[in-house]
Amino acid sequence: MSRNISENLAHFAVTIISKDRPGIVADTTEVLFRLGCNLEDSSCTMLGGDFAMILIVTHEKPFTKARLSDEFKALQERSGLVVHLRTLHEDEIYPVKDEGELCLISVYGSDQPGIVYRVTRTLADHKVNITDLNTRLIGTKEEPVYVLMLEAILPPGLSIEATSELLEPLRRKLAAEIGVRAITPVSL
Amino acid sequence: MPSLKILTFPHPLLKKRSHRIERIDAQIMGLIVDLIDTMKAGPGSVGVAAPQIGVSLSACVVDVSGNRQGKDNNHGLLVMLNPEIMSSSGRSIMREGCMSVPDYTGDVERPTSITVRYLNQSEEVMTIEASGFEAVAIQHEIDHLEGILFLDRILSLKTGLFRRKSYQ
Repeated sequence: MSRNISENLAHFAVTIISKDRPGIVADTTEVLFRLGCNLEDSSCTMLGGDFAMILIVTHEKPFTKARLSDEFKALQERSGLVVHLRTLHEDEIYPVKDEGELCLISVYGSDQPGIVYRVTRTLADHKVNITDLNTRLIGTKEEPVYVLMLEAILPPGLSIEATSELLEPLRRKLAAEIGVRAITPVSL
Repeated sequence: MPSLKILTFPHPLLKKRSHRIERIDAQIMGLIVDLIDTMKAGPGSVGVAAPQIGVSLSACVVDVSGNRQGKDNNHGLLVMLNPEIMSSSGRSIMREGCMSVPDYTGDVERPTSITVRYLNQSEEVMTIEASGFEAVAIQHEIDHLEGILFLDRILSLKTGLFRRKSYQ
């Protein structure tokens, strides 16, 4: 989308969480479609027994959050979806294009408090920008295993090997397997 | 000859199967030059297929020798006319992007090693074995000749790789 087109658009972040069932996406997007909104970006997935949707929605100005909220209220009452709306500011519309290498960091080990916190704090302290993150508790009740997978852009000058080295103290502290590998897309 | 503009989806040619080349004439030689020039002009480009420059003929060029992932395992500049994959083995996943589908990438699974037969620009029938990144690039370009985009081959959503299976 070119910048001058998007200046005429109101941007909203819409978050929806509901007990999973068929039809959540259809119900939500029907409201947006009838309002004349566009879905600019979205990420939706199952989390436990819930289905979670995060949407970036636009509508030609003038258009208010109240209008969007009113339309969702009926859906909310009818089907128990929990909807949260937020107006996006100008500087939130475009993704920050980082230049560094894209890597996947996998962390897995016996479940314990602080795995996500410790790993992401170390990364944040070194200006590593997380672009995607998933966690899941697997294994058995007796031996729960925590799996953390994240994608991140390394800052210029920080290599895959150096990133792996940064996480070495956590390998010992958490007794977890931590892998770092390049997944920078190949341009064909 | 100047490099040409790369067509982007939804240009209909990108979803069309290309015609076989029956004989190599001046037009085909010109096409080969255009493909090479266009590949060289694209930043980091390692291959271009004829449909991407608006020609529905079975021709593509591949050169991964200048790429970090291909520099140790390649055949240099490959000019491939009517290429066909004769056999393949192994499976590996690579996150691909394509100049004809800007701003989108996805994980694609393809054979790791391939044997490919094609005509070169001197009208010789060539058979080569390629593996690794070069094999991915060749398969990506041959897909263009079949009207297949990498979007048709994405095997999972990014997060799908980590999705819990339900054991019931």
